[in-house]
Amino acid sequence: MTQCQHAWKMTNAQYGFTVFERCSHCHGVRTYYAAQDTWDEYREGGCTWSIVENAQTLRFDLECEKCQQQVDFKDLMGLMYCTSCMEDCEVECAQKALAPQKTWILAAFGFLPHAPETEISAARLEILTDYFNQRRDTSRSRVKILPFSLIKQVSLCHGELIHDIGMLSPEPFPERKPLF
Amino acid sequence: MKIEAIRDSLKASVLAREDLLGAEVEDIYASDLMSDVLAFGLPNSLLLTGLASQQSLISAHMAEFKAVVLLRGKRAKDGAERFATEHSMVLMSTRLDMYDACVRIHALRDGNGVQPKELGTTQAVDNILLQQKFQIEGNDFSKAGYVSTEVKSMLKKIGVDPVLIRSVAISCYEAEMNVFMHALRAKVDLTVTPRLIEVMLTDEGKGIPDVEQAMQEGFTTATDDQRALGFGSGLGLPNIKRNTDELQVTSEVGKGTTLVMRFFLQRPGS
Amino acid sequence: MKIQELIQNLGLKPLSRFEDRDISGVFISDMMSDAMANAKSGNLWITVQTHKSIIPAANLVDVAAVIITSGKTVPQDTVELADRHAIALLSTDQPTFDLIGKLYGLGIATS
Repeated sequence: MTQCQHAWKMTNAQYGFTVFERCSHCHGVRTYYAAQDTWDEYREGGCTWSIVENAQTLRFDLECEKCQQQVDFKDLMGLMYCTSCMEDCEVECAQKALAPQKTWILAAFGFLPHAPETEISAARLEILTDYFNQRRDTSRSRVKILPFSLIKQVSLCHGELIHDIGMLSPEPFPERKPLF
Repeated sequence: MKIEAIRDSLKASVLAREDLLGAEVEDIYASDLMSDVLAFGLPNSLLLTGLASQQSLISAHMAEFKAVVLLRGKRAKDGAERFATEHSMVLMSTRLDMYDACVRIHALRDGNGVQPKELGTTQAVDNILLQQKFQIEGNDFSKAGYVSTEVKSMLKKIGVDPVLIRSVAISCYEAEMNVFMHALRAKVDLTVTPRLIEVMLTDEGKGIPDVEQAMQEGFTTATDDQRALGFGSGLGLPNIKRNTDELQVTSEVGKGTTLVMRFFLQRPGS
Repeated sequence: MKIQELIQNLGLKPLSRFEDRDISGVFISDMMSDAMANAKSGNLWITVQTHKSIIPAANLVDVAAVIITSGKTVPQDTVELADRHAIALLSTDQPTFDLIGKLYGLGIATS
């Protein structure tokens, strides 16, 4: 049996919000997907969670048009573009190594704080990479999506998370603050 | 541009305030960024946005927009619909994306600038566009509302502003109910010219002894049975007066009453 | 139509260095999430967003050019990122809705 040369398409696309919340006591950060923007502050044990931002987002699955295989990406919070901010960061190393092949590196983020334990598997990131490359004119350049665990120190990373913040704000966002 | 025309060209479904579809919008603002809507949006505009949140509605309201269209089939949650309803904004949803929506509205605007003007300038002022006669038999409640429903759909077919249609329909309905309650039968004449809509209703009934009194809020001669049906909180004349541009009531006791209701499509003298 | 021709036709202001290429279709949105889902390779992306993250988003789905409307000031780091990706970053004083009317007139349709 020959393996399917998958042709991926986006399916089950749902528009909603990535809610970023922070606890004023433990300074922890949590993120989750919500169909509706939420602004309520609430307590949980010793923590008081308040909403930092509602970022418009999209969640989706991929489906192969040929073999109908479906791959779930509901645990993907977003993609971060590597801005080459830490020399010895593995993501930046990959960016440098692949630059001659005109390949741009992105890191896939899951929702916090569970992302590190339940990382999006390499196989699924490969599928995500294939999907975006299939949509692109790959004679010009390619993209490659890596797990965010390769980032040397997330708290120092200046990568650019591709998401929609400040959309709901009545004031223009003069300067976007890092959310974590 | 009328919101209704935009609704039709975008094949949008109305989520809130269908009653305001007849209103005009002066500009279109296409953006997903609410700070921009507040900074650059002009009053009486229509917002095209892919941002399905109550915040879109709030921003649109602050910028004094009249309508919001959600793109790509997005739906806002209940809160947004409620907000739109409370703050008199039409909320719609279309399957189109921003580009297609903009293009269709451009096409509508370019084509539309001509049509309504032609109606006024090329037609003679008293050219009759529509004339129709109806009969109402009193005491047959099963047919109550028949004439006003007919009038409503006829006016809709010839493209009368829905807000005006609503006024005509309400007035007709009140007048029709009076016939069922107080008269034997009535004749209704509907006439539409480019300038006005006129509904003349002549009934054979007991007449109104004091027209001036009947025009007062709360005056009623309805029987208890009729009140139980929800009618008769008044003769309906005050409500008719509120909804018409001109109202003439003439009555002769023992013979009947004639109502002439006029609704202007163009203000006299304009 | 190529990007250079479009610039001529609409009087757009180029902000970045770019490789000229064919434009196929128009995509309008101020949201990265929309772009990730719906923009197509070679599209012209029209937006009022000026933040630098539009460039990685544009690059991810391989749009040909980005037009910033409403005369918004584009930050320098956005321009630099566009240079790096050789994405045409263009600007116009016109609001999005008006610009679409012109594009439609030029016969550039959505893909």
